[in-house]
Parts: sequence; C-alpha cells; structure tokens
Amino acid sequence: MDKVMLRGALFLACTTLLAACAEKASQDAAQQSGAAPSLPKAQQFLVPPMQVPDFVGWKDGAAPTVAPGLKIEKIASGLKHPRQLLTLPNGDVLVVESNGPGEEAVTTPKQLMAGMVKNRSGKGAKGGNRITLLRKSASGEWEKHDFIGNLHSPFGVQLIGDTLYVANTDAIVTFPYQEGETTIRTPGTEFTDLPSTVNHHWTKALQANPDGTKLYVGVGSNSNITENGLEVEYRRAAVLEVDVASRASRIYASGIRNPTGLQWNPATNSLWAIANERDEIGADLVPDYMTSVTEGAFYGWPYSYYGQHVDRRVMPQRPDLVQKAIPPDYALGSHVAALGLLLTQGNALPAKYQNGAFVSEHGSWDRSPLSGYEVVFVAFKDGKPTGKPETVVSGFHSKDESQLFGAPVGVVLDKEGALLIADDVGDTVWRVTAAAP
Amino acid sequence: MNVPAVRRRSSVASAVYGLLNPIPFGFFVAGLVFDVCYAKTGTTLWGKGAAWLIAIGLVFAVIPRLVNLVQVWITSRRLATGADHVDFWLNFVAIVAAVLNAFVHTRDAYAIVPAAVWLSVVTVALIAIGHIVIAVRPTVQREYVHG
Repeated sequence: MDKVMLRGALFLACTTLLAACAEKASQDAAQQSGAAPSLPKAQQFLVPPMQVPDFVGWKDGAAPTVAPGLKIEKIASGLKHPRQLLTLPNGDVLVVESNGPGEEAVTTPKQLMAGMVKNRSGKGAKGGNRITLLRKSASGEWEKHDFIGNLHSPFGVQLIGDTLYVANTDAIVTFPYQEGETTIRTPGTEFTDLPSTVNHHWTKALQANPDGTKLYVGVGSNSNITENGLEVEYRRAAVLEVDVASRASRIYASGIRNPTGLQWNPATNSLWAIANERDEIGADLVPDYMTSVTEGAFYGWPYSYYGQHVDRRVMPQRPDLVQKAIPPDYALGSHVAALGLLLTQGNALPAKYQNGAFVSEHGSWDRSPLSGYEVVFVAFKDGKPTGKPETVVSGFHSKDESQLFGAPVGVVLDKEGALLIADDVGDTVWRVTAAAP
Repeated sequence: MNVPAVRRRSSVASAVYGLLNPIPFGFFVAGLVFDVCYAKTGTTLWGKGAAWLIAIGLVFAVIPRLVNLVQVWITSRRLATGADHVDFWLNFVAIVAAVLNAFVHTRDAYAIVPAAVWLSVVTVALIAIGHIVIAVRPTVQREYVHG
C-alpha cells in the first residue's frame, strides 16, 4: 500500500509539473492581432510559462535586421539603458537613459526568483538616470552630450515652448531650455507629483496635447493583477491629465494596465496609447494592445480584459465595473510588451510606411516561443488601424531564442524623417532610413 | 532494556530530529490559518504570508525528514515498525503536497484559492495523522526510533 501511495504521489507531482512547464503558445501572432483577437480560455499554472534569452549584446558590427527597402545604422552606443527619445525643433535628439528605481519591496518568495531571471536577460541592468543629447554634425556623425543628470528613473520627456518636462517615476520636473544648448546645468523644479508608491510599473509616459495646455501621463499598475492589494492601485493603471497652467491633475481614462507610448493622433485629434496586458493566465493571454484613449473610459483592468472577459484572480470582483469596461481598438499579440509608439503621417521611409503607427515590442518573458522583440508597422486608414502588423525591424535575439542582443523601446522620427529606435538592452540608438534604390 | 539496539541509534541524530521536526508542522499550521484567512477576506497580506510560511516550513523540513529517512530505512530498520513506516510515508506525501502548495502560492492574488487551502489542509492533516499513529503504537518501541 505504501508503495502504491508513493507511486501515486510521484506520478501526480510529475505530471502536474510537466503539464505546467510544457505549456506552449498555440496561437500565432496573426490570430492575436487586429480589432478582434482570438482569446483562448484562461489557464492556471504551478509554474507560469517562462522563457528568457540570455543577454549577450551586439557583437562588432552586428545590427538588427530591417524589412526590404530599408537600411539601419547605429548612431549612438555605450548608453546606459536608453528608453525614450525626443526630437527637439533644431534636430537634436534627447535620449532618456533609465531603468526601474528598484524600490519595490520583496514581499513574496516568487519575487526573489523572478528578479534573478530578469537580470539574466539584461533587462534589469541599472539605468543612467540621465538624458543624453545627440547632435548630427556636419560630417554626418552623431555627437553625444551629457544633457541632464541626476534624474530619478525618468521616462517621458516633452518640450512645451521653452520648458522641458521630464517625467521621473515620482514627479514631473521642469527645466528651462534654450534652443541649441547641449547641457542644462540648472537643477530641475518639481512641477507636480505622480503616483509613486511601490512603482511595480515605474515608467511614466508623457505626451502634451497640440496646443501645449495639457500633459497626459501614463501610470502603470502596481501589480500584475492586484497581488499587492487594491489600496496601492489608487490613480494607477490610468492615464492622468495634468493642466499645465494650474498643475492640477485628474484621471483621464482608467483600467489600462500599463499605458505607455502616449501619442496624439492628428487625424482624429485624440490621444492614443499602447498597453501591456496581464500575465500568467496563458501563453496566448492577454494580447497587448494599441488604443485610442477616450476621456472617462474604463478599459477593464483589473476586473476584466477586452471588454467583459472577467479575471477571477481579483478579489472582490466588481461586476458593476466589468459592465462599463470597453475593449481596446487593436490587439498587438500576447506578451509582446509594446513599449514604444509613434503615429506618423509622413516620414522619409518608403511609401507604405507613410500613414500609420510604428510600435516597438520589448519582448516577452511569459511565453514560449518568444513574442515581440521587434518593431512593427500598423497601417492606419481614416485615423484608425487596419490590417495586420508588419515587421519592420527584427533580429534582436538569436534564431534559437537563447541569446538576446537588444530590445527596442522608444521610437521617434528625427528631423530628416528617419526612424530612430532606442535599444535598452544593446544600449544603442538605431536609425532606420530608406535604402538607396 | 535492549542494550545492543540502543547503541545502534545516534543520540545526536535523535536530538536534531527532536528539535527540528516540530518546526515545519508549526509553519504549515500557520500557513493553513493564513490561507483560510486569505480565502475569507481577499486581503493580500494573508496570501503572501502563507507563501513565506510554506516556503520556510519546507526549508526546515529538509534535515528532520532526512534523519527520519535514514533511521527508518537504514540505521534502525530492524526496530522500525509498521507505525514508523506509515509515519514516514504520511510525511513524505505531506511534503509533496507542501511543495505543490509552494508553487500554487506563486500565483498572483486570488488565483491561489481554493488550491492553496486544500493543499494546506492535506499537508497539516497528513503530518497530524503521522503523529497520532506514532503516539498510539506500543510504547516499548518508541524508545528506539524517535527517542
């Protein structure tokens, strides 16, 4: 009897563990992009599907692969975790070098383990907490200048008039800016504070409206799915609107788990964002998305996803809020980790890239095979995304998915209309242009 | 008194076993209490506390379980009775349940309920039954294996 019990217990343990580890994605990217992604049933795991390539960086002369008709060059390297880019009116490019503040307390055994896994990929490397200015010299080389230092996990940066707004993880700070200067020595002035407990999702994306009267701030949730308690989610998983004149802020839209890449869509005169959706309910759940952000709208997090798909992991459940939840406009694929968005209505790239969105996908950890790790283009028609995402820049990991060279984050156009991409794992800024015919 | 038999068991091993063996049980009982509190309230503190209790309980269980394994099946195998064997297997399955439970506790928020509760119940119940089985066997043999 003892032996039967032992065999039974061992068999149960092994099969459950194997079932959990062998979980592979069953849907391809095309099924999970667009306005109506296919959403499988939510699953639970003993060990969530996890695959993280090891950091190796870019070897001499290696570069990402670009789609036909394009070429790519490195314009800056040796940066410290470059995350976001901003092109100034005179053509100088600001590079925000940053990573998480590392202030989140370790409150579960799981966090101990997860931290080690993340560091293997290079995504956990320390950020520069500074902004570097890149200037194209007459010879075509890009010079590097130390622009602003001593920041606190900065992410978003915007210029309104002669004031530069930098979104640190805990506050927006302002700096006076004069066109042409390559360094700002004046210390920053706190403009308004931002939600900064825990900072599980620490990035604060920033976008001004066209007339410069409002600033929109993307504030990510303080957890995957409320495991840190609901009280720390106050003004989290939301887009805040800050009135530039009065500095007052309010929640503009909510229920967006981790909104970044805020952009103004001139065609519809509305705010757009990309968002990272929740993890650990399946390799094919939940697709990250790109969406217009409607004032006052609720997009479901944490209670539901894609409208009324309820997430049972949240306690207490809120059927009243689930009822109000609206689905986002366009799915990008599960766990791709979209972290950069650029809406364009004209650039120096070939004709098919003229109207639409470039989305950079930082890449998955909660999925096998890997997803993301590329920059895609989504064509727009009448101010709305249409068709499937097309790969523009890829090759950020080795073909066998074991080595990681880089990961794309911020995307922006330079003054000549070329596409610039910040690579915070390869510590590089890439520039994509049309290939000579 | 069976003197040759007494000489065969190590008093150090028995002392280590006696000191460490109650610790995991205490942690697992506390884990059960926390898991029930979490299932009832949804307050994340309880779920996270239970995750630590079960993980630490498992760490403390390693040495006494190895001592027991060696005593029951090797050094004192001639003296080990059916009760010792049953106790060994009950504890073995309890530890397997606790390991599964540690994995269940890596899930986020309310996803650990109800699996966390019933795995904690299984762990605590099996170890408790093991203690009862040892307690009710003939006293003369208790001397040898468990001191």
